[in-house]
Amino acid sequence: MPLAPPPFLSLRLALREMRAGLRGFLVFIACIALGVMAIAGVGSLARSLSEGLAHEGRSILGGDLAFSLIQREATAHERAFMRSRGALSAVATMRAMVRTSDARSALVELKAVDDAYPLYGQVSLQPAGDLHRALAAGGNVFGAVADPALLERLNLAVGAHVALGAATLEIRASLRDEPDRLAGGIGFGPRLIVSDAALRASGLVQPGSLVRWLYRLRLPANAADDGAIESLTKEANAKFPQAGWDIRSRKNASPQLERNIERFSQFLTLVGLTALLVGGVGVANAVKSYLERRRESIATMKALGATGGRIFAIYLTQVLMLAGIGTAIGLAAGIALPFLVTALFGAVIPLPIAPTIHPAELALAAVYGIATSLAFALWPLGRAHDVPVSALYREVVATDIGAPRLRYVGATAVVILALSGIAVLLAYDQRIALIFIGSAALTFVALRAIAALLMALARRLPRPRSTALRLAVTNIHRPGALTPTVVLSLGLGLTLLVTVTLVDGNLRRQFEAALPERAPAFYFLDIPQADTGRFDAFIANAAPGAQLERVPMLRGRIVSVKGVPAEKLSPSAQTAWALHGDRGITTAAQVPDGSRIVAGAWWPADYDGPPKVSMEKRIAEGLGLAVGDTIVVNVLGRNIAAEVANLRTVDWQSLGINFVLVYSPNAFRGAPQTSIATLTYRDGGDAARETELVRSLATAFPSVTAIRVKEALDTFGALVANLVMAVRGASLICILAAILVLGGALAASHRHRVYDAVILKTLGATRGRLLAAYALEYLALGGATAVFGVVAGSLAAWFVVAEVMNLPFVWLPLPALAAALSALAITVGFGLAGTFSALRQKPAAILRNL
Amino acid sequence: MNDMSTTEAPAIALTAIDLSLGAGEARVHILKHIDLHIGRGEAVGLVGASGSGKSTLLMVMAGLERPDSGSVRVAGTDLGALDEDGLARFRGREVGIVFQSFHLIPTMTAIENVAVPLELAGQRDAFARAKDELAAVGLGHRLHHYPAQLSGGEQQRVAIARALAPRPAIVVADEPTGNLDESTGRQIIDLLFASHAERGSTLVLVTHDTALAARCDRVVRLRSGSIETPKPLRADA
Repeated sequence: MPLAPPPFLSLRLALREMRAGLRGFLVFIACIALGVMAIAGVGSLARSLSEGLAHEGRSILGGDLAFSLIQREATAHERAFMRSRGALSAVATMRAMVRTSDARSALVELKAVDDAYPLYGQVSLQPAGDLHRALAAGGNVFGAVADPALLERLNLAVGAHVALGAATLEIRASLRDEPDRLAGGIGFGPRLIVSDAALRASGLVQPGSLVRWLYRLRLPANAADDGAIESLTKEANAKFPQAGWDIRSRKNASPQLERNIERFSQFLTLVGLTALLVGGVGVANAVKSYLERRRESIATMKALGATGGRIFAIYLTQVLMLAGIGTAIGLAAGIALPFLVTALFGAVIPLPIAPTIHPAELALAAVYGIATSLAFALWPLGRAHDVPVSALYREVVATDIGAPRLRYVGATAVVILALSGIAVLLAYDQRIALIFIGSAALTFVALRAIAALLMALARRLPRPRSTALRLAVTNIHRPGALTPTVVLSLGLGLTLLVTVTLVDGNLRRQFEAALPERAPAFYFLDIPQADTGRFDAFIANAAPGAQLERVPMLRGRIVSVKGVPAEKLSPSAQTAWALHGDRGITTAAQVPDGSRIVAGAWWPADYDGPPKVSMEKRIAEGLGLAVGDTIVVNVLGRNIAAEVANLRTVDWQSLGINFVLVYSPNAFRGAPQTSIATLTYRDGGDAARETELVRSLATAFPSVTAIRVKEALDTFGALVANLVMAVRGASLICILAAILVLGGALAASHRHRVYDAVILKTLGATRGRLLAAYALEYLALGGATAVFGVVAGSLAAWFVVAEVMNLPFVWLPLPALAAALSALAITVGFGLAGTFSALRQKPAAILRNL
Repeated sequence: MNDMSTTEAPAIALTAIDLSLGAGEARVHILKHIDLHIGRGEAVGLVGASGSGKSTLLMVMAGLERPDSGSVRVAGTDLGALDEDGLARFRGREVGIVFQSFHLIPTMTAIENVAVPLELAGQRDAFARAKDELAAVGLGHRLHHYPAQLSGGEQQRVAIARALAPRPAIVVADEPTGNLDESTGRQIIDLLFASHAERGSTLVLVTHDTALAARCDRVVRLRSGSIETPKPLRADA
C-alpha cells in the first residue's frame, strides 16, 4: 500500500537541487530584478508624488475649495455665497509684461493677491519678511515680489522700480517659495506677485482680458470634512447654474498634474513590462538549459519512483524560488527609488514627493515578476515531465521534444492571459495597453518565424566549399543551435533600441531643430478690442512686411454635449483633456488658415442666425458629436448653446492660431473680448529685431502681452527633455535586459562551443578558420535580425509618435542604422569573446574529461 | 493495476518481447521475441557481447523501457497496463536499480541520495532507514558527503544502498562493476549477493565478467537480441 508522500517533499528536493548554486541563474534573477525594479520604482515614485500632492492639497489649491473663473470676476451674489461658508481669499492670475525705466521688458506670470492670501501655507521671501508688508503701497508706488529669474533677466536688484501697465512697482523682495505654485500649471515667465490694488491700478483688467480669478475658501473646522466639501460643491452649482466656474477641492488640487503623472507612469510601466518580457526570454533560456543539465538527475529520480508530476513540482518550486529572489531584489531597488530621487534631486524638483513604501504598487510589481517568470518557465518545465529514464543509459540527442502536455500548455496560456489582463485593466489608456500586448505577441511570433526560416534556409543551402562557411551554416541549423534564442533576444533588444532611438530623435526634432518653416515669431495676448486698429498700424510700422493674424479670443468651458452634462460624459482618453478646465474659443467668418472642412459646411460669410460652431474632428468624435448636434459652452458666465455646423481637421504643427471651437461671427456679439494675434516674419525673424519689437510694444501697448515663440518652445523643450530622460532611463533597463539575455544565451552554449572547438582542432582546424566560422555565423544571425529590428522598431516608433503623441513622424535613417549596427557589433563581439576562450583551450585537458 | 492472483507466479515473466529503437534507416531490432521467466529469489546473470541487447532487456524488466510487443509481468504486475506515472510508482516500490555509472544525484549527500526513493514512497522514517542502509554497506561514516567527495567504489555502494533501501522484490544491476577496479568491484558484488541472500530478493545482473556470472543461479546469454540457451550453471544451488 503506497503511502502519501510527506508534505513539502517537492520543496525539500528542490532545495537539495539548488545546492549546486545559482550559477546559470544569474541572468534569470537579473532579468526579473530589472523588470520588477522598473515597475516597482515607477509605481512607488508615482504614488509618492500623488500622495505628496494629496497631502499638500490644501496648500497647492490655496484652500479647502477653489472656484476658478476666467475673464470675469465673481458677482456680488456669488461672493456673498462663498463668504457665508468660510474665510475667502481672491487671487487673480494672468500673463503680463513688466518694463524697466530704460524700456527693457519681460513676460511675467502675474499673481495679484488680497489681504487674506495665503489661506494655507507660507510665502517665503528673501530677505525674509511679511508678504503683505512687501506688497503695500507707498504713495503711487506699489510693492511687488518677484521670482529671482525675473530680477536676473532684467538685471535688477531688490529695490528697483518697474512698470506694470499703468502702475509703478517697487520690487521689495525676491520670491523663494509660494505654497500654491503648482496649481497654475506650466508658466511661460517668472512669477511676479502684487496686491489686488496694484493690479487694478495697472489697468490690465479690461473687459475680456485673459485674467483667471481664483476664489479660495477655508472652511470652518466643523464643516471641513470631505462630505461637507462635496455638498457645498453641489449646492454652489445648483444655486449658480450659469456661473461656469471650475470648482476644485483640496482632494484634486492639481488634476492636470495628477493625470500627467498617471499617464506617464503608465507609459513607464509599459516600458518596465517590456523589460520583463525581454527578461522572460532569459528566464526561458535559463530554465531550458538548466533542465538540460539536470536531465540525468531527473531521469535518476524517475528511475527511483518519482512521477512526471513530481519532477515538474520540484523544478517549478525552484523556479518560484529564483523568481522570488529576483523579485525581492527588484522590489528593494524599487522601494529605494523615491527615497533616492528625493535625496538626490528633492531640492530641484518642484514637486512634493512624499517617499514612503507603497505595498499595493510593490505587490503589483511582484505579481508581474512572478507571473512573467511562470509564463516563460512553465513550457520548459512541462517538458521536464516527460524526460525519459532511458536518458540514463542511452545518449539522446538534445532536440526539442515538441510541446509539453496539454495541462502545461493550458497553464502557460492562463498565466499569459492573466498577465495581459492585469496590464490592460490597470492601464491609463487601455487601447494603448492592448496594442502593446498585441505587438509584443506579434514580435515574438515573427522572431520565432524568422529563426525557423533561417534554420530552414541554412539546411537547404548547397554545401559551401569554404570550410568556415560550411561550419557556420551547419551551426545555424544543427539540433540545439543558438539560432532561436539569439534571434529572439537580439531581435527584441534591437526592436526596442530602434524604437527608443527614433522616438527620442523625433521628439527632439520637434522642440529643437525644425520649427515649421513659417512659424510665427510672436503670440500677442490681451489686445483690447478698442485698440485693435491702432495695434495693427503699430505692427505694420514696426515690422514691415511681416504677416499679422489677429482673431477675437474668449475662454469657455464645455458644459454639456447633446444634453448630457460634461461631468457625466465618458470621452475617449485622447479627448478627455477638452473637458478639463477652459478652452480658447474664437469666431470667424471664413475657414481659418490651416483648417480643412471634412464634414458639414461652413456658414455663409454674412450668417446672422443662432450660434453655430465648427469643431475639430477628433475632439468632436471623442465626445460623440456629429454635425447637427448641440454643444453648450459657458462663456463669461453665460451658457451658450450652438449647433455643430461642421467638422475640421487642424494642422496643429503650423503653430498658427488654431481653436478646437470656432463660432459663427455673431455668437458673442456685444460680449467683452480681447484679441489674440500671431506675427510671422517672412524671412524667419531674428533675435535683435524681435527684442526691439517687444521693447517698443511694451511702451506703446503696456497691457498687451508678447510671448516669443522661440522662448515658449524652449520652455516646452526643457520639459520634454526631462521626459525624454525618464524614457531613456526606463528604456535603458530594457536594453540592459536584452543584452543580459543575449549574453546568457551565448554563455549557455559555451560548453558546446568548447567541445566543438577542441574536436575540430584535434582534427586539424586552425584557430583562424574556427574564428572565421563563428564570426560568419554571428554575422548571419545578427544581420537577419537587424533587418527585422529596424523594420519592427520603426513601426513601433511611428505608432508611438504619430498615434500616441499625435506628432508628425519622420524616419531618421542614421540613428536607426546606428542602433542596428551597434546591436550587430554587440552580437559578434559577445559571441567571439566567448569563442576566444573556447579556442584557447588545450585539447588534451578537455579530451581527457570527455 | 496490481494483479495479485498469481502469487506463485515467477518474479519476472517476459513473454514474446520485441523491441526496436531508432527511426527510419537507423531503426535497429534490438530484442527479438524474448521469452524469459525468472523465479522469486533467483539470481540471474545476463551475459553477451556489446550490443547484444542485455542492458535493454534489463531496462524492460525494470519498467524503464516499453517493448513494442509482448507482455512484461514483474512481481505479479502487468507493466503494459501501467502509464508512465504508474511505472514510476511501481519502480519506487518493487524494483531497485544499480547502474554502471552510479547515477547519484550530485547535489545530494549520500544519505539524501539513499533517502530519495523512500521519501518518494512516502516513508516517514526515510532518513533513519537510509542511515541503516548506508551503515550496512559500510558507509556509516560518510553519510553527509556529496558524491564528488566519494571514491568510485563508495559511490557505487551508495547506489546499492539506494537500490536496496525500499526493500524491493527485484534488484537489477547493469554492469555494476564496469567502472571500478577489480578489488573494489569484488566488494560491490559481495555486497549485492549478501543482500540478495539475506533479503531473498530476485537479482538480475548484466555483466561481461564470466566469473561474476558464474556466481548466479542461472546465466542467460544473449546474442543479437535473442536468448541463446538458458542453462543451469550451479548444480548445487
